[in-house]
Amino acid sequence: MKQSIVRRVVLIAAACGFVALLSGLSLSAHHGWGGYVDQLSDLSGTVVTPVSMAGPHATLKVSAEGHEWDVVLAPPPRAAQAGLKDGMIPVGEKVTVHGQRHRDPKKYEIKTTRLTWNGKVYNVYPDRE
Amino acid sequence: MYDFTAWMQASTLGHFMRESSPWTYAIVNLGHVLGIATLFGSLVVLDLRLMGAWRRVPLATITDVAAPVAAFGFSLAVLTGIGLFATKATEYVGNPFLYVKFPAIGLGLINVLVLSRLTAWRDRASRELSPAERFQLALAGGLSLGCWLTAIAAGRLIAYW
Repeated sequence: MKQSIVRRVVLIAAACGFVALLSGLSLSAHHGWGGYVDQLSDLSGTVVTPVSMAGPHATLKVSAEGHEWDVVLAPPPRAAQAGLKDGMIPVGEKVTVHGQRHRDPKKYEIKTTRLTWNGKVYNVYPDRE
Repeated sequence: MYDFTAWMQASTLGHFMRESSPWTYAIVNLGHVLGIATLFGSLVVLDLRLMGAWRRVPLATITDVAAPVAAFGFSLAVLTGIGLFATKATEYVGNPFLYVKFPAIGLGLINVLVLSRLTAWRDRASRELSPAERFQLALAGGLSLGCWLTAIAAGRLIAYW
């Protein structure tokens, strides 16, 4: 009898944990595209921090529209395939990023499909155009 | 806290994680997942047995196998976890899930320490345990399951903050 109660408690706890996990996934979704608006837009500015190929996503920082933006690129292998390298694009260079801005307008973050620098286009997500 | 994370990020390990290859993070991340899977896979069997499941299987038979496998998985998860954290350590400051994950791991380890000192645990292979002793082990098993489930859930959610 005691054993079946223990089992029931475990099952319920596991189910609760699973539900909490699933509901948590929609919290702020840093990964994937869920946390960003559907509409694609351009953002032009100057580089504050060069390309970083650190996981889980390659990034750079750009000053644009009076704010410092976190430009989120693809995971490093995919960004490398698009032609990006660690430390690329010097500070002060003009770039245009094309992508989806964060749903929270106070969060200056854009998930990028392509980056244009010096006339060259880096298509990190060519299939999302 | 910030000083510590800045130091980690600037360490040789941090540089290695960021600059060695575009695949480094992915591979270390894979190691982390495998470590957690190994830890939790063995732990869930061990904890449920402590809680009273599969009574026909002698406790010592399960602990002989599950405990070292869990320890190996935990070590792998810790080693790879340090690398993942060092990649962008400063960005994790203020992430609320971090403050759930690490206390849960701490509690889980304290639980292991306490469990390993119980006479019920020490005598598990040599004699029949009393109902009170079995209850002690069941409690430790339940606490363990709760701690590690919390640590894993919070750990996964760090990425979604």
